[in-house]
Amino acid sequence: MDTQQQRKERLDRGIKVRTDGLYALMGWQELGYLTLPRLILIVGMLALPLLMPGMYWQRVITIVCIYALLALSFDFLAHFVGLVSLGGAFFIGVGGYFSAIFNASFGIPPLFSIPMATVSGAIVCTLLLIPCLPLRGVYFAIVTLMYPLALARVIEATDILGGTDGIMGIDSFSNSWVEQYVAIVLVLLFLFGLRRLVNTDIGLVVRAVKDNDQAVRASGMSVNFYKAGAVFIASGIGCLGGACLVHIYMWAGISLFALDFSILPIAATVIGGSGTLVGPVLGCLILVPISELLRDFGTLRIVFYAILLVCFVVFRSEGLMVYGERKYHQFERWVKV
Amino acid sequence: MLEASGLMVFYENMLALNNVRVRCDDNQIVGVFGANSAGKSTLMYALSGIMEDIKKKEAMAGGERITIMGEIRFMGQDIMALKPSLRAKQGIVLCPERRRIFSESSVLENLRIGGYLATTSQAKETMEYVFQIFPALVKLKKRTGGFLSGGEQQMLAIGRALMAQPKLLLLDEPLLGLSPLMQAILIRGTKVIRDQRKIAVMVTEQYARPVLPIVDYAFILENGAAVMEGTRDELLSNPDIRSAYFGV
Repeated sequence: MDTQQQRKERLDRGIKVRTDGLYALMGWQELGYLTLPRLILIVGMLALPLLMPGMYWQRVITIVCIYALLALSFDFLAHFVGLVSLGGAFFIGVGGYFSAIFNASFGIPPLFSIPMATVSGAIVCTLLLIPCLPLRGVYFAIVTLMYPLALARVIEATDILGGTDGIMGIDSFSNSWVEQYVAIVLVLLFLFGLRRLVNTDIGLVVRAVKDNDQAVRASGMSVNFYKAGAVFIASGIGCLGGACLVHIYMWAGISLFALDFSILPIAATVIGGSGTLVGPVLGCLILVPISELLRDFGTLRIVFYAILLVCFVVFRSEGLMVYGERKYHQFERWVKV
Repeated sequence: MLEASGLMVFYENMLALNNVRVRCDDNQIVGVFGANSAGKSTLMYALSGIMEDIKKKEAMAGGERITIMGEIRFMGQDIMALKPSLRAKQGIVLCPERRRIFSESSVLENLRIGGYLATTSQAKETMEYVFQIFPALVKLKKRTGGFLSGGEQQMLAIGRALMAQPKLLLLDEPLLGLSPLMQAILIRGTKVIRDQRKIAVMVTEQYARPVLPIVDYAFILENGAAVMEGTRDELLSNPDIRSAYFGV
């Protein structure tokens, strides 16, 4: 046996084991190890509007947050419930139109119209999606992709809800700071909320549905009920994004059903690391500004975009966040076999 | 024919195979016996090269880091660096655990897929041979693979492996979850294949008794290490081995 052979060993850091398994938070070091990554994210997000050079980039931050909400909802559905959703545009559109109607037609202020649009939008989305929940496979993805396409054409053809002109005269947020901080706080709230949720008992059942729905059924639980619940939460998050968006733009039109809202969150999830929930937010923070920077190149930016995505899938299919987490928690060394 | 030495496989930091040495001579049926998690399937994957493929996929997805070390010689040639497809071309064909038949293809199609490496005349001849040793499959030619019973699926899996014209057939737990009657049919079939086609066979099992009558030589795996080896009689003379793996 050749003793010169070496192999790279991967071990958990001592501090990770101490803080993770034993909860021995005895010093600032351990406390810092646990809270620092979270603090960096929270403080960093909250500081973003202050760091941005002008109105234009501040608006970009808000858009980043809207996409981050969509990416969160995609990641939650895809990696914790097992439903691949291409329905970002669907959720944004439904939520957006609801909020626009509440605000423009009934004069309800944004403070109330946004939550109302979130709930009613989530109900409508869930009801429309319930018929395809019992199926496994690509059907959910297809249906969620078709709804926004169909709804946009219906609005265009029948001229309801303002037709191609859209609904105008929607109230905006009182100022741009409120607008940015509302979006940022919502992202943080749902990020940490969802992380909590997937570890509660209900979250465990939902994750079990993804792993093996027959075993869940055999345990006496209704798979469709839990799936519908998860779709309600995810579509609610999406609708919330849409509702905020129409108040930012002060306009609701069929461009709310644009395919960008479906595709970009998926790309962000791939880059950020799927199944981490933080990863998609990070992915949006990278992708959306990049796509703004590339705006000068016109349609050529799609090419850069596509190349970036392909590179990520081929070379780092785990995603940034999974990679970063591993580096943070583990160290590597060469050992003799 | 096949000789592996110093074979080590790590899943991350877990040692799945520890310095294992196995060999299989021409025209021999070799048994590899061990409990769950002893490393039987890992050994089969390492020999057939599927491990290289698993390793590559895990590395791309940033999952477990798999390390494979050691030496595998097949017909005097070092095959450690060969891809699984090339190893199959050389004649090492794996019939995987849990059968893994193509469940949406018919029996006939499954066999034809297995015969991808064979020439047309070889495939025709082998297919007739498969139906001859497993006559139960004849009536099921058109049946979809997923609708076969466990035993029929196992027959099909062995038949599919035969279609690739193996020189060494690796059977990973062929008796898993089958009735004693079906086990007897498969064991008889395996012996016939060895006798008539001159194919060396390496078969893994947890419970050695049904396989015992046909094996010429056997290895005992425990916690990833080959702790015992010997002919049938040598193993039977050891009381611990007798009670643990042969149930007598």
